[in-house]
Amino acid sequence: MQKILSLLLLGCGLLLAQPPSGIAIRNARIVTGSGPILQKGTVVLRNGLIDAVGENVTIPTDAWVINGEGMTVYPGLIDALSTIGITDAAATPGSARPAATPGAPAATVSRGPEDRPLTTSWLKAADLINTTDRRIESARNQGFTSAITWPRRGIFAGQGAVINLAGDKSNDMIIVPSTGQYLALVNGGFGAGYPASLMGSISYIRQIYVDADRYARIKKQYADNPRGLNRPEYDRALEGVLESQRLLLPANRRVEITRMISFSKELKRPTVLYGLQEGYLALDALQAAGLPVLINLKWPEKAREVDPENIESLKVLEVRDKAATTPAELAKKGVKFAFYADGIDQPADILKAVRKAMQAGLSEADALKAMTITPAEIFGFADRLGSIEKGKIGNLVVTKGGIFDEKPAIQHVFIDGVKYDPAPDTQTPAAAGARATGGGKEQEQQ
Amino acid sequence: MKKFFVSFTLAASLAFAAANDTFLVRNITVHPVTGPKLDNASVLVVDGKISEVGAKVTAPKGVKIIEGKGLHIYPGMINSATEVGMSEIGSIRETSDTGELGEFNPQLRSSIAVNPSSEHIPVTRANGITAVITLPGGGSTENRGFAFGALNPVIVGQSALMHLDGWTWEEMELKRTAAIQMKFPTIQMLSPRAMMMDLPGAFPRNTFAEAKKSYDRRIQAMHEFFEQARRYQKGKESKQPGLRRDLKFEAMIPVLEGKTPLMIVATRNRTIRDAIEFGQKEKIKIILAGLEQLGDNAAKIKELNIPVILGETLTLPSSEDDPYDSTAALPGLLHKAGIKFAFGTFDTQFARNLPYQAATAVAYGLPYEEALKSVTINAAEIWGVADQIGSIEKGKWADLIITDGDPLETNTQIKQMFIKGKAVDLSSRHTKLFEKYMSRQ
Repeated sequence: MQKILSLLLLGCGLLLAQPPSGIAIRNARIVTGSGPILQKGTVVLRNGLIDAVGENVTIPTDAWVINGEGMTVYPGLIDALSTIGITDAAATPGSARPAATPGAPAATVSRGPEDRPLTTSWLKAADLINTTDRRIESARNQGFTSAITWPRRGIFAGQGAVINLAGDKSNDMIIVPSTGQYLALVNGGFGAGYPASLMGSISYIRQIYVDADRYARIKKQYADNPRGLNRPEYDRALEGVLESQRLLLPANRRVEITRMISFSKELKRPTVLYGLQEGYLALDALQAAGLPVLINLKWPEKAREVDPENIESLKVLEVRDKAATTPAELAKKGVKFAFYADGIDQPADILKAVRKAMQAGLSEADALKAMTITPAEIFGFADRLGSIEKGKIGNLVVTKGGIFDEKPAIQHVFIDGVKYDPAPDTQTPAAAGARATGGGKEQEQQ
Repeated sequence: MKKFFVSFTLAASLAFAAANDTFLVRNITVHPVTGPKLDNASVLVVDGKISEVGAKVTAPKGVKIIEGKGLHIYPGMINSATEVGMSEIGSIRETSDTGELGEFNPQLRSSIAVNPSSEHIPVTRANGITAVITLPGGGSTENRGFAFGALNPVIVGQSALMHLDGWTWEEMELKRTAAIQMKFPTIQMLSPRAMMMDLPGAFPRNTFAEAKKSYDRRIQAMHEFFEQARRYQKGKESKQPGLRRDLKFEAMIPVLEGKTPLMIVATRNRTIRDAIEFGQKEKIKIILAGLEQLGDNAAKIKELNIPVILGETLTLPSSEDDPYDSTAALPGLLHKAGIKFAFGTFDTQFARNLPYQAATAVAYGLPYEEALKSVTINAAEIWGVADQIGSIEKGKWADLIITDGDPLETNTQIKQMFIKGKAVDLSSRHTKLFEKYMSRQ
């Protein structure tokens, strides 16, 4: 039985290893993202990569030709901070507290930094990808071809991975297996021990980086000449931290933004700030800091089901009114920013949220950049993704009309050169299963 | 500082000299509060009561005379909401006798919980306060309704009017049941567990619809309790055979008869509105207490002649967008709306700050005369004891303070105090500590 199954899987793998010999989209408007817009151009995908792009491209005779008349081709969209593909409770916020050391009972009360509380820095999103996560398809249906997905639980939550939003096996999806460490300022809460306060959390982060620097030094010393030296004690938490040099620091409110900017200077590591909804209040500080930022597209909105007599404070109303101006303002200041859609439940609302930022003054080109080339630059994979250029990975979105239109009509999505067409009813789970697992239906039904 | 110290010793020595409750204060500026001030006048006290006030008072032979040249005499002040004597040290359970559990406890009497030897009593007196309302349920907040489910207090017990002098609580009692205190429920969006554990984020919030439903249920339960009390009252009137005596319902009878007011703690617009509506539906007399705002209720309060006990007015505005002076200006607004009000502090250790609440209100629009009345005669009227205290008038208890100036001013010294004509020791834990540290070498 097992043999048959493995043969079957092998078959699938072989099948996918031989995509159609080429796809050409011709006579389409092409928004390359790297150069000027081609009003009537052709893109050729071959072998999972972009083989050619331009106005005068010879279409290979064996290519499957798509008539792009009236269509626009964009680079595939990238969600810069998400949990797409991760369904593991150990990496999801709000789940039970994990054991401090493997095998030890959970919920041990930590006494200090030495117990490495709320730390799973060694967790890699790349190892946690579950191909049956339905969010993969629903994001794809909105034009997203890649995401940077992160474990999100604890203070040092773990390492993010750049993934493509299609693939039979999780291994097929990984573009960059480790692209940084996700940090959050959380505490264990009641009864969980250290840290139980904000100052405790910050001090813990500081201690970890002090420890990590020392750990790296000692390890190097030992590796250079182990004779006469005691071997350094293995510390999984510090290994994880050293593996992922780039930090993601939370900075939503103005005070958090300025604090995290100075914290980042102190930690002396490449830093990316995320949140930024009050970024419009800290423009100069952000410009001076020169750090790239990830802006959450989940703009604050009035909660449903509130007391009708409750009078909201001016501050709350102001943030609700101004949050969406942050991208336009940051663009003016030349701050590098990317978008992420964390907290938006309906995938269709993601582009709606981008349009809100555009109504607040963000140009279409800047909006597109924030979901294509900029996240690729921030996380260092712009040589592979983020624009339509020869040699890059074949991730494209083809729309009728513009992608930022009121009702964007997404016709095709190409990932690794493979065409995916959004189903008319994007929420049908059966269809999602069939496509995502390539015939592995029994997996979906579990 | 030296001056304060001297006056303290003076007061102390006088206290011992005036052993009996009959004396004449002369050549003093009398502030009767209910009438214009009288310069160079006299006040005659006989057996603890004010016997005569005027420019020419004939004193009986041999009566003790207090020379009042350059000084002022005022009625003692009344703090209309405190826990004085009921809670000594908040964090020590054994010294606190407030905050019983259970939804309806009108039978609880705060007067018996008052400790006549409390250190807080002389401290409160030091600023010229001679009587306080004691609340069985403490604080100025409404019923935030979270901790104990069905045990959440709504009717918390009987508020008493207490003199701040006496060997026993019985001697202090001026009016055993000045009001029955109710903490009006509020709409709670946070779940009970979240409130209890102070971890709002960790627990789901109620939707408004759910919270409103449970609020409506609680108000329904309050109406039901009143209905039961009414049935008990009828049974008692008709001498219904076999009627079991019930102290709860017994205590409610004066409220139902309109003899005792229900003092409802309600701070915000909706609660105030619903509290007024509750009182109207039950056809009872109510006093609103702890108001942080008037909301849109001013006309209604005025129309129904509901007296108000203001909560902490020396505090920050309750919402961040409120005008900076919204709490300090509230007394002036009430006065403009024609609403009768008095001040309360709703606590123990700061009950002494009562005069400063009134004084600050003057700076924000309340006429001075009204400020003085709100800590004296208005309070006495609200509590139904205007025939006994609250002004310097013939026939009232000699609750008097002799001062070197306006008692609402912080730098005024209270030189002497009389409660029921008895000179009261003005030393307190504060003066003792003052002496102790001033004498440090």
